[in-house]
Amino acid sequence: MTELEERETGGEAIEPPVSRSLLVRVGTYLLRRPESTVAIAALALAVYFTLANEFFLTAANIRVIANVLIPTAILATGQTMLLISGEIDLSQGAVYFMTPFLAHFAVEAGIPLPLAVMLALLGAGVIGLINGGITLAVGIPSFIVTLGMLLIVQGVTLNLSDGFPARAPSVGLDVDIFGGAPFSGLAWVILFVAFLHIVLTKTRWGVYTIAIGDNRLGAREAGVPAYRITMRNFIVAAMLAGFAGIIEGVRIGSFDPGAGGAAGLRVFMAVAAAVIGGTVLTGGYGTIIGAFLGALVLAVLQDGFNIMGVSAFTFGIVLGAAIIVAMVVNALASKARIRSQSVKL
Amino acid sequence: MDVSGAGQMTPSRRNFLKSLGVVTAAGLIAACTNDNGEAAGNGNGGGGSGNFPETPEWNFVFVNHVTTNPFFVPTVYGIEDAGAILGTTHQWTGSEGSDIGEMVNAMEAGIGGGADGIGIALVDLDAFNGPTDDALAAGIPVLGYNADAPNNRLAYIGQDLYGSGFEMGLRIVDLVGSGKVALFIATPGQLNIQPRIDGALDAIAESGADIEAVDIATGADLTEELNNVEAWYLGNQDATGMFAVDAGSTQAVGQVVRDQNARDNALVAAGGYDLLPETVELVADGVLDFTIDQQPYLQGFLPVVYMYLWKLSGGVVTPPETNTGLVFLDSVGAQLFLETESRFEGDAEEQKIVEPVG
Repeated sequence: MTELEERETGGEAIEPPVSRSLLVRVGTYLLRRPESTVAIAALALAVYFTLANEFFLTAANIRVIANVLIPTAILATGQTMLLISGEIDLSQGAVYFMTPFLAHFAVEAGIPLPLAVMLALLGAGVIGLINGGITLAVGIPSFIVTLGMLLIVQGVTLNLSDGFPARAPSVGLDVDIFGGAPFSGLAWVILFVAFLHIVLTKTRWGVYTIAIGDNRLGAREAGVPAYRITMRNFIVAAMLAGFAGIIEGVRIGSFDPGAGGAAGLRVFMAVAAAVIGGTVLTGGYGTIIGAFLGALVLAVLQDGFNIMGVSAFTFGIVLGAAIIVAMVVNALASKARIRSQSVKL
Repeated sequence: MDVSGAGQMTPSRRNFLKSLGVVTAAGLIAACTNDNGEAAGNGNGGGGSGNFPETPEWNFVFVNHVTTNPFFVPTVYGIEDAGAILGTTHQWTGSEGSDIGEMVNAMEAGIGGGADGIGIALVDLDAFNGPTDDALAAGIPVLGYNADAPNNRLAYIGQDLYGSGFEMGLRIVDLVGSGKVALFIATPGQLNIQPRIDGALDAIAESGADIEAVDIATGADLTEELNNVEAWYLGNQDATGMFAVDAGSTQAVGQVVRDQNARDNALVAAGGYDLLPETVELVADGVLDFTIDQQPYLQGFLPVVYMYLWKLSGGVVTPPETNTGLVFLDSVGAQLFLETESRFEGDAEEQKIVEPVG
C-alpha cells in the first residue's frame, strides 16, 4: 500500500465491508431510525402487560387498545406537522368535539354522510384558518390564540348541541367507512400517518415546514412561503381533529359535547403523543411515525393499567409516572443510539 | 485520532439509571395492584361470607363519568364495604371529564378483561347500549347506577330523577307561591340532571301557580357555577326563589344567597340537591331551605350486593330497580349531618357506628 494509506490504517489492510443479509440490513436500518426507541418502548410495554395480565393480548383487548389509540393518533399527526413548524394548536380538543355536530346537522338536513363529513371538515378548517390567521397576521403566540379558541369552540359546541349528546348515524356502508366498521378507524390512522409522513419527508411542504420551525426568519429570507405553509399546517391540524371526532362518535354511536374539560385532556394527550414520539416542542424537528408510536405507547399504558384494575384515583399517578419513565428511557436510548452511530476517527 | 469511549455511556451511570427506572416502575405497579387486593374482604380465606359458599374473588368494574368528583366518594366507600362483606374486589374507572368515548373504552376494557360485573353511570342514551349487550352476551351482569337510560341493563340503582325533580317542583310551589324563580343546572341535557329540572318545571306548570320559572345553565365546575349564579342574581334581584338541580349549582345558590343577603330582598326560598359540605352547612344555617339527598353510598353498596347475588344464583336472583331515595334534608337533618362525619356522607374514612343526634 502507499505510504499515506499505511499511515492512516496503521499498516493493516482494510477489509471491504462484508455483504450482510437483507434481514440484518433492514434491521440495522430500522434501529438507526429515530423512532426505533419509541417502537421498542411500545413493544417492551406490550410484553410487560402481556406477562402481567392474561387478558391483555386477547382479540377483544387489542380492539380496545386500537380504539384508545385512534383518536389520539389522528390528533397527534395533525399536531406534529404544526409543532414542527414551530406552532401549537390547543383548540384541537374542542374542534374534536364540535365537528361531529356540524356533520350531525348536515345529516339531519338530508345530506348524505360523506358529503356531510366534508362540510363538517370545512367547518373545522375554518377554525384552523382563524387560528392561523390571528397567530400569523397579528403575531401572537399560537399557544394563546389556540387556548382562547379552545374555550370559544367548547362554548360553541355546547350551544350547538344544547349540552346534549346526539345520536350518530349507525347503518350503511358510508357509516362503516367513517368509523362504524371494527377496524376502519385504524385504516384511517394508517392512511393519515402514511400521507403526512410522505409529506414531511418527501415534499417541499415538509421541507419548508422543518425549515420554518427551525428558523422562521431565515427560512423566509431564503424564499420559503412561511405564512402559507404554516397556515396550511393549522388547517390540517384542525381538520384532522374534526375527522377524529367524527369517526370516534360514529364508533360509539353518539356525538358527545364533552362537557367537563374533556377537550383539554384530548389535545394534551395528542401533544404528549407527539413529544413522546420524538417531536420537539420548540419546532424544527419531528416525526409523524413517532407521533403514531407515541400514541401507541399512551394507548398501551392506558389500557394496560385499566385492564390490571388500577382505579381512577391511582390511575393518574401511575400513568403520569409511566409516561415520564418511558420518556427518560427513550431519551437515554436515543443518546446511546446517536453516539453509537458517531464516526470513530 | 483516538477517541475511544465515544459511543459508550459510562456503564455505572447507565446501569444506575436503568435500574432506577425499573425499580420505580415496578414499585408503582405493585402499589397500584395492592389497591385492589386490599379492597377484597378479610374473611374469605376459608368458607364463604356468612351463610354463603366459598366464591371466587369476583371483580366488579364501575364506570363513571366524573371519577374524581367528591360526590362519588361515598359511592366508592359503599362499593368497598359491600366488597369486604362478600369477598369481592372492584375497579373504579371511566372518565374524569365526562368524555363518553373514554367511558366506552373503559367499559370495553372491563368486558375484555374478564370483569365479573359492570356498573355503569348511563349518562348517554346510545353509547353504552352496544357494550351493555356485549357484556350481557358474555354472561357479565350490567347495572346502571346514578344515571339511567333505556337500555338492556339488568336494573337501575339510583334516584328517580324525574320524580325527585317533580317533588322539588311541588315544594317550590309550596314555599314560594309566586314570583320569579330560577332553576340552575350545571350542564343542560346531561342525563343525570336534566330530568330533574324537567320534573320541577312540569310540577310548577301543572300547579297553576303564578310562578315565572327560568332555567339557567351554570357550567361544569364549582367556580364557574358560583360566578354564573351570582351574575344572574345581580341582574335579577327581584327573584323570589333560587333553586338548583346539581351539587355544584346548589352550593353556588347557597353562597350567593348568603353573600348577597338575598333574603333581605325579595327572596323567599332556596334549595337544591346533594350534600356538598358547604351546602349542608348552608342548610343548617337556614340560608337554604332544603337539599335533596340521593344517598350515593347506596348507589355503590347495592349494585355490589346485586351483582354478587346474580353471580351466586346463576342469574336466578335478578336485581330490582331501586330508588335510592329522595330525602329532603332540612335544617334539623343538616345539623345531624354536620355533627357527624362518616363513610356514608363521604367525609370520614373511619368505620364506626354513628349515633343519632338529639
